[in-house]
Amino acid sequence: MIARKLITLACLFLVANFILYPQQEVVMSIKEGMPLIPVAIPNFSVKDTSPEAKDAADILYKVISDDLKYSRVFSPLPKNYYNYIKPLDPDKILFQDWESIQAKLLIVGQISKQDDKTIQFEAKFYDVKSERFIRGKTYQTEKSLLRLAAHKFSNLLMETYGEPQIFTTKIVFISNRDANNELYMMDYDGHNQTRLTFNREKDYMPAWSTDGKSIAYTEFKGGNARLYIYNPFEGKRKLVFDLGTSFGPCFSPDGKKLAFCSTEDESNSEIYTARSDGTNIKRLTFNKSADVSPSWSPNCREVAFTSDRGGSPQIYIMDAEGSNVRRRSFGGNYHDSPAWSPTGDRIVYVSRVQAVFDLYILNLRTDEIIKLTEGYARNESPCWSADGRHIIFSSNRIGTIQLYSIDYDGANLKRLTSKGQNKLPDWARN
Amino acid sequence: MKKILTLSLSCFLVIAFFASCRKKVEETPPPPQVEEQPKLEKVEKPPVKEPKLTEEEIFAKKSLEELNAEKPMNVVLFDYDKFFIREDAKLILQNNAAWMKKWKSVKILIEGHCDERGTEDYNMALGEKRAKSAFDYLASLGISSDRIKTISYGKSQPTDLGHNEIAWQKNRRDQFTIIEK
Repeated sequence: MIARKLITLACLFLVANFILYPQQEVVMSIKEGMPLIPVAIPNFSVKDTSPEAKDAADILYKVISDDLKYSRVFSPLPKNYYNYIKPLDPDKILFQDWESIQAKLLIVGQISKQDDKTIQFEAKFYDVKSERFIRGKTYQTEKSLLRLAAHKFSNLLMETYGEPQIFTTKIVFISNRDANNELYMMDYDGHNQTRLTFNREKDYMPAWSTDGKSIAYTEFKGGNARLYIYNPFEGKRKLVFDLGTSFGPCFSPDGKKLAFCSTEDESNSEIYTARSDGTNIKRLTFNKSADVSPSWSPNCREVAFTSDRGGSPQIYIMDAEGSNVRRRSFGGNYHDSPAWSPTGDRIVYVSRVQAVFDLYILNLRTDEIIKLTEGYARNESPCWSADGRHIIFSSNRIGTIQLYSIDYDGANLKRLTSKGQNKLPDWARN
Repeated sequence: MKKILTLSLSCFLVIAFFASCRKKVEETPPPPQVEEQPKLEKVEKPPVKEPKLTEEEIFAKKSLEELNAEKPMNVVLFDYDKFFIREDAKLILQNNAAWMKKWKSVKILIEGHCDERGTEDYNMALGEKRAKSAFDYLASLGISSDRIKTISYGKSQPTDLGHNEIAWQKNRRDQFTIIEK
């Protein structure tokens, strides 16, 4: 009898609990812990003997191998494994051989020179076990665009496995390599560093629009710090906000909104939103303390930001309309620059301990925190790749400020820049 | 010898005679001429007087760049992570306010700056608060608020590129730029 009563009580309690605290919707995709897909990439065959085709083959092979190594989805097999089996004959593939060295996926590439300028790259990939052709594509390109062709093929693999196509996405950043702070962009791997603005003014804090076509940034000019949206591909620029010091833009992942900071009211930084074209500006935060560094959740219903309303800068989350503010960082006295992972379950941020800045990742589901960097330096301004596996940030660990890439679990740290000082990166989602 | 003496004496007498004769001849129409001559002298004098002529004129002559290069308003420094006006800063701000009271047409921009030991984002807010602190203090000394604009550069424009306490202290500052006069 008592046991039964207890059970009903427990059930009641559970039901009440469920009604009182409805489960929060969590966007989650299981990614870490999934085994990497072993890929065999035998050397690409070159159809003619021209040195151009040979060079092209080397570049394409290297870029694709590096992309896949970086991906954390695929894992290229060690090259010495290929010594145990017969060399690849593209017309007659012996799949058992490839299976014997534990390849799940086989990439076959063939390169030929079309004319003086054009290289043709035919790439296919096969499922080894079922001995089936999965997808392929033929790329025709000039020599200077071989890296892009290789990234496009890597993207094709990612797309096939339901992953965001990060290999052609660009990183925008600020560099002073040619005098004052100007906007630059580069490939995800640090190649093709290109200058975007040519003015005497100092540009600051860029952020890609969701479609990857425009950049919101602050220009310091004539004693003003105005926020602009600039399309470098069309050379068009639009003023968004010219009151106070306006900075720290972040576009919402659905492409509809832009959040930013401005000090227009009594010199106190507050967070504002606008439509993604910069119109219809609304204020989100109203208080006497500083609110900075907005970052949208992937479903665009929430915004993470920094506020010193509790006495020191800490990470908070609010609903997209500005209500329901709750604190999410504890245990330190200086946390800033939150960036919400595209997978929704993590926020990477900067924590300052005795003038050393390190990146930490807060897991929103488990409340676990991991320390990402150990640089005895200032590691800051983190931003995520579109698939949430990689983070680009700036660090002064070698003396000058440079951009680095690191994975969500602290693996694969790599420096991307070396000329001048480079900072404030933002990684396009598209 | 005697000849020479008598010759020169006679010459002198002749010249003296002529001279006296001229004077007498000219004395008939003099009044207008005497009045005109001093006027001519007065026209010559102003270039000599000019330096005395005024601080205002010198001020008016200078371009904004020249004026800013002289740094008539001194930099104010802040404590790490803080934006309150220190005691040493008050005196500087009082002098700055006095200067602004003297030159009533001047409008200024207060630039708030931070050192590298704060994050890019939060420093932008902190820099603006430093500018606002000086703004409020100047306003309390009677400077009209429409003569002051504020901006934050965060840590993007250090004045000292060093990485030590001396450099950091120099960089935690408000800088005053004249934008109108």
